[in-house]
Amino acid sequence: MSGQDNGASVELSRRTAAAEGRARGLNVGWTVFSYLLSGMAAYGIIGWLVGRAVHVPVLFPIGMLVGLAISIGFVIYRYGRQEAANAAQAQRTSTKGDDR
Amino acid sequence: MTGDVTALASGGCHIFSGCGFPAPGLQDFEWKPLFTIGSFGFTKPMLLAIIAALVVIVFFWAAFRKPQLVPRGVQNLGEMAILGVRDQILRPSLGRKGDSYLPFLVSLFFFIYIMNVMELIPIFQFPVTSRIGFVWPLVFIVYFLYLYLGFKNQGAWGYLRNMIPPGVPAPIYIILVPVELLRFFVFQPFTLGVRLFGNMFAGHLLLTIFTIATWYLLSLSIGLVYAAGSFALAIFVFVLETLVTLLQAFIFTTLTATYIASSLEASH
Repeated sequence: MSGQDNGASVELSRRTAAAEGRARGLNVGWTVFSYLLSGMAAYGIIGWLVGRAVHVPVLFPIGMLVGLAISIGFVIYRYGRQEAANAAQAQRTSTKGDDR
Repeated sequence: MTGDVTALASGGCHIFSGCGFPAPGLQDFEWKPLFTIGSFGFTKPMLLAIIAALVVIVFFWAAFRKPQLVPRGVQNLGEMAILGVRDQILRPSLGRKGDSYLPFLVSLFFFIYIMNVMELIPIFQFPVTSRIGFVWPLVFIVYFLYLYLGFKNQGAWGYLRNMIPPGVPAPIYIILVPVELLRFFVFQPFTLGVRLFGNMFAGHLLLTIFTIATWYLLSLSIGLVYAAGSFALAIFVFVLETLVTLLQAFIFTTLTATYIASSLEASH
Protein backbone atom coordinates (compact mmCIF):
# COMPACT_ATOMS: atom_id res chain seq x y z
CA MET A 1 0.00 0.00 0.00
CA SER A 2 2.79 2.34 1.04
CA GLY A 3 4.75 1.31 -2.05
CA GLN A 4 1.73 2.18 -4.20
CA ASP A 5 1.41 5.57 -2.44
CA ASN A 6 5.08 6.16 -2.98
CA GLY A 7 4.75 5.27 -6.68
CA ALA A 8 1.77 7.61 -7.09
CA SER A 9 3.65 10.40 -5.35
CA VAL A 10 6.71 9.90 -7.58
CA GLU A 11 4.44 9.92 -10.66
CA LEU A 12 2.74 13.11 -9.44
CA SER A 13 6.03 14.90 -8.84
CA ARG A 14 7.29 13.73 -12.25
CA ARG A 15 4.19 15.15 -13.91
CA THR A 16 4.48 18.40 -11.96
CA ALA A 17 8.13 18.75 -12.99
CA ALA A 18 7.19 18.06 -16.63
CA ALA A 19 4.40 20.69 -16.52
CA GLU A 20 6.76 23.22 -14.92
CA GLY A 21 9.36 22.52 -17.59
CA ARG A 22 6.75 22.96 -20.33
CA ALA A 23 5.54 26.30 -18.94
CA ARG A 24 9.08 27.54 -18.48
CA GLY A 25 10.14 26.40 -21.95
CA LEU A 26 7.17 28.16 -23.55
CA ASN A 27 7.86 31.36 -21.66
CA VAL A 28 11.60 31.40 -22.40
CA GLY A 29 11.10 30.50 -26.06
CA TRP A 30 8.65 33.28 -26.77
CA THR A 31 10.55 35.81 -24.64
CA VAL A 32 13.72 35.11 -26.64
CA PHE A 33 11.78 35.51 -29.88
CA SER A 34 10.39 38.84 -28.64
CA TYR A 35 13.91 39.99 -27.68
CA LEU A 36 15.25 39.26 -31.14
CA LEU A 37 12.43 41.17 -32.80
CA SER A 38 12.49 44.11 -30.39
CA GLY A 39 16.30 44.46 -30.56
CA MET A 40 16.17 44.74 -34.33
CA ALA A 41 13.17 47.09 -34.23
CA ALA A 42 14.49 49.36 -31.45
CA TYR A 43 17.95 49.92 -32.92
CA GLY A 44 16.54 49.84 -36.46
CA ILE A 45 14.31 52.79 -35.55
CA ILE A 46 17.18 54.61 -33.82
CA GLY A 47 19.43 53.93 -36.84
CA TRP A 48 16.74 55.13 -39.22
CA LEU A 49 16.16 58.34 -37.25
CA VAL A 50 19.89 59.11 -36.97
CA GLY A 51 20.38 58.15 -40.63
CA ARG A 52 17.61 60.53 -41.64
CA ALA A 53 19.12 63.35 -39.61
CA VAL A 54 22.66 62.93 -40.97
CA HIS A 55 21.59 61.73 -44.46
CA VAL A 56 23.27 58.31 -44.14
CA PRO A 57 20.52 55.77 -45.02
CA VAL A 58 22.80 52.80 -44.37
CA LEU A 59 22.50 53.47 -40.61
CA PHE A 60 19.05 51.85 -40.72
CA PRO A 61 20.23 48.31 -41.61
CA ILE A 62 23.34 48.80 -39.46
CA GLY A 63 21.06 49.69 -36.53
CA MET A 64 19.02 46.55 -37.11
CA LEU A 65 22.12 44.37 -37.11
CA VAL A 66 23.47 46.09 -33.99
CA GLY A 67 20.08 45.58 -32.30
CA LEU A 68 20.09 41.91 -33.27
CA ALA A 69 23.62 41.54 -31.87
CA ILE A 70 22.58 43.24 -28.61
CA SER A 71 19.54 40.96 -28.31
CA ILE A 72 21.56 37.81 -28.95
CA GLY A 73 24.19 38.92 -26.44
CA PHE A 74 21.57 39.65 -23.81
CA VAL A 75 19.75 36.37 -24.43
CA ILE A 76 23.04 34.48 -23.98
CA TYR A 77 23.74 36.46 -20.80
CA ARG A 78 20.25 36.09 -19.33
CA TYR A 79 19.34 32.55 -20.31
CA GLY A 80 22.85 31.15 -20.51
CA ARG A 81 25.30 32.50 -17.96
CA GLN A 82 22.86 33.95 -15.44
CA GLU A 83 20.63 30.86 -15.46
CA ALA A 84 23.66 28.59 -15.04
CA ALA A 85 24.88 30.76 -12.14
CA ASN A 86 21.41 30.67 -10.53
CA ALA A 87 21.19 26.89 -10.96
CA ALA A 88 24.65 26.45 -9.38
CA GLN A 89 23.63 28.73 -6.50
CA ALA A 90 20.41 26.73 -5.97
CA GLN A 91 22.40 23.49 -6.00
CA ARG A 92 24.85 24.82 -3.40
CA THR A 93 21.99 25.97 -1.17
CA SER A 94 20.19 22.62 -1.40
CA THR A 95 23.41 20.69 -0.65
CA LYS A 96 24.04 22.89 2.41
CA GLY A 97 20.62 22.10 3.75
CA ASP A 98 21.08 18.36 3.18
CA ASP A 99 22.45 16.82 6.38
CA ARG A 100 22.59 13.19 5.28
CA MET B 1 -17.12 31.69 -46.08
CA THR B 2 -18.66 34.19 -48.43
CA GLY B 3 -19.70 31.25 -50.52
CA ASP B 4 -17.98 32.26 -53.78
CA VAL B 5 -15.39 29.49 -53.65
CA THR B 6 -17.81 26.91 -52.29
CA ALA B 7 -20.39 27.80 -54.94
CA LEU B 8 -17.79 27.46 -57.70
CA ALA B 9 -16.57 24.15 -56.35
CA SER B 10 -19.99 22.67 -55.75
CA GLY B 11 -21.40 24.00 -59.02
CA GLY B 12 -19.78 21.34 -61.17
CA CYS B 13 -16.39 23.01 -61.31
CA HIS B 14 -14.12 19.96 -61.66
CA ILE B 15 -10.72 19.23 -63.14
CA PHE B 16 -10.69 18.77 -66.95
CA SER B 17 -14.00 20.61 -67.27
CA GLY B 18 -12.29 23.80 -68.40
CA CYS B 19 -12.70 25.33 -64.99
CA GLY B 20 -9.69 26.55 -62.98
CA PHE B 21 -9.16 25.54 -59.35
CA PRO B 22 -11.28 27.86 -57.18
CA ALA B 23 -8.42 28.51 -54.76
CA PRO B 24 -9.44 29.58 -51.27
CA GLY B 25 -7.92 32.79 -49.96
CA LEU B 26 -8.58 35.81 -47.80
CA GLN B 27 -12.10 36.06 -49.20
CA ASP B 28 -12.95 32.92 -47.22
CA PHE B 29 -12.44 34.85 -44.00
CA GLU B 30 -14.76 37.71 -45.00
CA TRP B 31 -18.39 37.26 -44.07
CA LYS B 32 -21.52 38.98 -45.28
CA PRO B 33 -23.57 40.25 -42.34
CA LEU B 34 -26.34 37.95 -41.12
CA PHE B 35 -28.26 41.13 -40.29
CA THR B 36 -27.47 44.79 -39.83
CA ILE B 37 -28.35 47.33 -37.17
CA GLY B 38 -27.71 50.72 -38.71
CA SER B 39 -24.16 50.57 -40.04
CA PHE B 40 -23.25 47.64 -37.77
CA GLY B 41 -23.21 44.29 -39.53
CA PHE B 42 -23.62 41.17 -37.36
CA THR B 43 -21.54 38.40 -38.94
CA LYS B 44 -21.17 34.65 -38.44
CA PRO B 45 -17.87 34.90 -36.46
CA MET B 46 -19.64 37.23 -33.99
CA LEU B 47 -22.44 34.71 -33.59
CA LEU B 48 -19.90 31.92 -33.05
CA ALA B 49 -18.06 33.97 -30.41
CA ILE B 50 -21.33 34.49 -28.53
CA ILE B 51 -22.14 30.78 -28.81
CA ALA B 52 -18.64 29.94 -27.49
CA ALA B 53 -19.15 32.24 -24.49
CA LEU B 54 -22.58 30.72 -23.83
CA VAL B 55 -21.20 27.17 -24.05
CA VAL B 56 -18.57 27.98 -21.40
CA ILE B 57 -21.07 29.76 -19.12
CA VAL B 58 -23.80 27.11 -19.42
CA PHE B 59 -21.36 24.20 -19.02
CA PHE B 60 -19.80 25.49 -15.80
CA TRP B 61 -23.15 26.70 -14.49
CA ALA B 62 -24.62 23.22 -15.07
CA ALA B 63 -21.57 21.56 -13.52
CA PHE B 64 -21.50 23.62 -10.31
CA ARG B 65 -25.12 24.70 -9.90
CA LYS B 66 -25.66 22.15 -7.14
CA PRO B 67 -22.23 20.75 -6.34
CA GLN B 68 -22.15 17.39 -4.60
CA LEU B 69 -19.39 16.10 -2.34
CA VAL B 70 -19.14 13.01 -4.54
CA PRO B 71 -19.27 14.46 -8.07
CA ARG B 72 -21.48 12.85 -10.70
CA GLY B 73 -22.30 13.48 -14.34
CA VAL B 74 -21.48 16.94 -15.66
CA GLN B 75 -19.91 17.97 -12.32
CA ASN B 76 -17.33 15.25 -12.90
CA LEU B 77 -16.47 16.74 -16.27
CA GLY B 78 -16.39 20.26 -14.82
CA GLU B 79 -14.02 19.21 -12.05
CA MET B 80 -11.77 17.41 -14.52
CA ALA B 81 -11.67 20.54 -16.68
CA ILE B 82 -10.81 22.78 -13.76
CA LEU B 83 -8.21 20.39 -12.32
CA GLY B 84 -6.66 20.05 -15.78
CA VAL B 85 -6.17 23.81 -16.06
CA ARG B 86 -5.01 24.04 -12.44
CA ASP B 87 -2.42 21.26 -12.64
CA GLN B 88 -1.18 21.75 -16.20
CA ILE B 89 -1.33 25.54 -16.56
CA LEU B 90 -1.76 27.44 -13.30
CA ARG B 91 0.28 25.55 -10.70
CA PRO B 92 3.42 25.06 -12.85
CA SER B 93 3.71 28.83 -13.31
CA LEU B 94 2.07 30.38 -10.26
CA GLY B 95 2.18 27.64 -7.63
CA ARG B 96 -0.50 27.40 -4.93
CA LYS B 97 -0.48 31.15 -4.31
CA GLY B 98 -1.96 31.66 -7.78
CA ASP B 99 -5.13 29.65 -7.13
CA SER B 100 -7.18 32.84 -6.96
CA TYR B 101 -6.54 33.30 -10.70
CA LEU B 102 -8.02 29.89 -11.51
CA PRO B 103 -11.51 31.16 -12.54
CA PHE B 104 -9.91 33.66 -14.94
CA LEU B 105 -7.58 31.09 -16.50
CA VAL B 106 -10.29 28.43 -16.78
CA SER B 107 -12.65 30.90 -18.51
CA LEU B 108 -9.88 32.11 -20.81
CA PHE B 109 -8.74 28.60 -21.74
CA PHE B 110 -12.18 27.22 -22.50
CA PHE B 111 -13.40 30.34 -24.29
CA ILE B 112 -10.40 30.23 -26.63
CA TYR B 113 -10.66 26.46 -27.02
CA ILE B 114 -14.35 26.54 -27.95
CA MET B 115 -13.75 29.42 -30.39
CA ASN B 116 -10.91 27.42 -31.98
CA VAL B 117 -12.76 24.12 -32.10
CA MET B 118 -15.66 25.74 -34.00
CA GLU B 119 -13.44 25.09 -37.01
CA LEU B 120 -14.04 21.35 -36.76
CA ILE B 121 -17.75 21.30 -35.94
CA PRO B 122 -20.06 20.86 -38.94
CA ILE B 123 -22.37 23.84 -39.61
CA PHE B 124 -20.04 26.21 -37.66
CA GLN B 125 -16.91 25.28 -39.63
CA PHE B 126 -14.98 28.45 -38.82
CA PRO B 127 -12.42 29.19 -36.10
CA VAL B 128 -13.41 32.52 -34.60
CA THR B 129 -9.80 33.27 -33.63
CA SER B 130 -8.77 33.21 -37.30
CA ARG B 131 -10.21 36.75 -37.36
CA ILE B 132 -7.58 38.77 -35.53
CA GLY B 133 -10.17 41.26 -34.26
CA PHE B 134 -11.39 38.57 -31.84
CA VAL B 135 -7.87 37.94 -30.53
CA TRP B 136 -6.80 41.51 -29.69
CA PRO B 137 -9.44 42.03 -26.97
CA LEU B 138 -8.19 38.85 -25.24
CA VAL B 139 -4.59 40.10 -25.50
CA PHE B 140 -5.73 43.48 -24.16
CA ILE B 141 -7.46 41.87 -21.14
CA VAL B 142 -4.38 39.75 -20.38
CA TYR B 143 -2.03 42.71 -20.74
CA PHE B 144 -4.19 45.00 -18.67
CA LEU B 145 -4.17 42.41 -15.86
CA TYR B 146 -0.41 41.88 -16.32
CA LEU B 147 0.36 45.60 -15.97
CA TYR B 148 -2.17 46.20 -13.20
CA LEU B 149 -0.77 43.36 -11.06
CA GLY B 150 2.79 44.45 -11.77
CA PHE B 151 2.18 48.06 -10.76
CA LYS B 152 0.13 46.99 -7.76
CA ASN B 153 2.70 44.53 -6.42
CA GLN B 154 5.96 46.27 -7.30
CA GLY B 155 4.98 49.90 -7.78
CA ALA B 156 5.22 51.67 -11.15
CA TRP B 157 8.93 52.54 -10.88
CA GLY B 158 9.90 49.21 -9.32
CA TYR B 159 8.05 47.33 -12.02
CA LEU B 160 9.73 49.23 -14.84
CA ARG B 161 13.13 48.89 -13.14
CA ASN B 162 12.66 45.15 -12.69
CA MET B 163 12.08 44.65 -16.42
CA ILE B 164 15.86 44.32 -16.71
CA PRO B 165 17.18 41.59 -14.42
CA PRO B 166 19.49 42.65 -11.58
CA GLY B 167 23.25 42.35 -11.95
CA VAL B 168 23.43 43.88 -15.43
CA PRO B 169 26.29 46.44 -15.71
CA ALA B 170 25.13 50.11 -15.92
CA PRO B 171 26.22 50.83 -19.55
CA ILE B 172 24.46 47.67 -20.76
CA TYR B 173 21.43 48.70 -18.73
CA ILE B 174 21.12 51.88 -20.84
CA ILE B 175 21.61 49.95 -24.08
CA LEU B 176 18.87 47.51 -23.08
CA VAL B 177 16.20 50.08 -22.15
CA PRO B 178 14.83 50.60 -25.71
CA VAL B 179 14.92 46.84 -26.38
CA GLU B 180 13.07 46.02 -23.15
CA LEU B 181 10.47 48.76 -23.62
CA LEU B 182 9.69 47.63 -27.15
CA ARG B 183 9.64 43.98 -26.15
CA PHE B 184 7.37 44.57 -23.21
CA PHE B 185 4.87 46.98 -24.75
CA VAL B 186 4.88 45.93 -28.40
CA PHE B 187 6.38 42.56 -29.31
CA GLN B 188 5.31 40.43 -26.35
CA PRO B 189 1.59 41.26 -26.77
CA PHE B 190 2.02 41.15 -30.54
CA THR B 191 3.44 37.62 -30.53
CA LEU B 192 0.84 36.51 -27.99
CA GLY B 193 -1.99 37.54 -30.31
CA VAL B 194 -0.48 36.78 -33.70
CA ARG B 195 0.54 33.23 -32.74
CA LEU B 196 -3.03 32.27 -31.90
CA PHE B 197 -4.46 34.06 -34.93
CA GLY B 198 -1.78 32.77 -37.35
CA ASN B 199 -2.13 29.13 -36.33
CA MET B 200 -5.90 29.13 -36.60
CA PHE B 201 -5.85 31.12 -39.84
CA ALA B 202 -3.34 28.77 -41.48
CA GLY B 203 -5.13 25.66 -40.21
CA HIS B 204 -8.47 26.78 -41.56
CA LEU B 205 -6.93 27.71 -44.90
CA LEU B 206 -5.24 24.31 -45.22
CA LEU B 207 -8.44 22.50 -44.35
CA THR B 208 -10.39 24.56 -46.90
CA ILE B 209 -7.78 24.02 -49.61
CA PHE B 210 -7.75 20.23 -49.27
CA THR B 211 -11.53 19.93 -48.89
CA ILE B 212 -12.23 22.02 -52.00
CA ALA B 213 -9.39 20.33 -53.88
CA THR B 214 -10.95 16.93 -53.13
CA TRP B 215 -14.22 18.07 -54.68
CA TYR B 216 -12.49 19.84 -57.58
CA LEU B 217 -10.33 16.83 -58.47
CA LEU B 218 -13.22 14.39 -58.27
CA SER B 219 -13.91 13.11 -61.79
CA LEU B 220 -13.91 9.86 -63.71
CA SER B 221 -10.27 10.24 -64.69
CA ILE B 222 -6.84 10.24 -63.12
CA GLY B 223 -8.26 13.10 -61.07
CA LEU B 224 -9.93 10.48 -58.89
CA VAL B 225 -6.49 9.39 -57.60
CA TYR B 226 -5.55 13.02 -56.89
CA ALA B 227 -8.91 13.49 -55.13
CA ALA B 228 -8.19 10.47 -52.92
CA GLY B 229 -4.78 11.95 -52.04
CA SER B 230 -6.33 15.31 -51.29
CA PHE B 231 -9.03 13.68 -49.17
CA ALA B 232 -6.37 11.81 -47.15
CA LEU B 233 -4.58 15.11 -46.58
CA ALA B 234 -7.85 16.79 -45.54
CA ILE B 235 -8.36 14.04 -42.95
CA PHE B 236 -4.75 14.42 -41.79
CA VAL B 237 -5.13 18.20 -41.41
CA PHE B 238 -8.43 17.69 -39.60
CA VAL B 239 -6.75 15.39 -37.06
CA LEU B 240 -3.84 17.83 -36.77
CA GLU B 241 -6.26 20.69 -36.16
CA THR B 242 -7.95 18.82 -33.30
CA LEU B 243 -4.55 19.01 -31.59
CA VAL B 244 -3.74 22.57 -32.73
CA THR B 245 -7.03 23.98 -31.39
CA LEU B 246 -6.24 22.58 -27.95
CA LEU B 247 -2.55 23.44 -28.11
CA GLN B 248 -3.14 27.08 -29.04
CA ALA B 249 -5.60 27.56 -26.17
CA PHE B 250 -3.05 25.88 -23.88
CA ILE B 251 -0.15 28.08 -25.06
CA PHE B 252 -2.15 31.31 -24.74
CA THR B 253 -3.32 30.44 -21.22
CA THR B 254 0.09 29.14 -20.09
CA LEU B 255 1.79 32.34 -21.25
CA THR B 256 -0.92 34.35 -19.47
CA ALA B 257 -0.14 32.41 -16.28
CA THR B 258 3.60 33.05 -16.64
CA TYR B 259 2.93 36.77 -17.23
CA ILE B 260 0.81 36.92 -14.08
CA ALA B 261 3.56 35.09 -12.19
CA SER B 262 6.15 37.60 -13.39
CA SER B 263 3.92 40.48 -12.28
CA LEU B 264 3.60 39.02 -8.80
CA GLU B 265 7.34 38.47 -8.38
CA ALA B 266 10.06 41.10 -8.61
CA SER B 267 12.40 39.25 -10.98
CA HIS B 268 11.00 38.58 -14.47
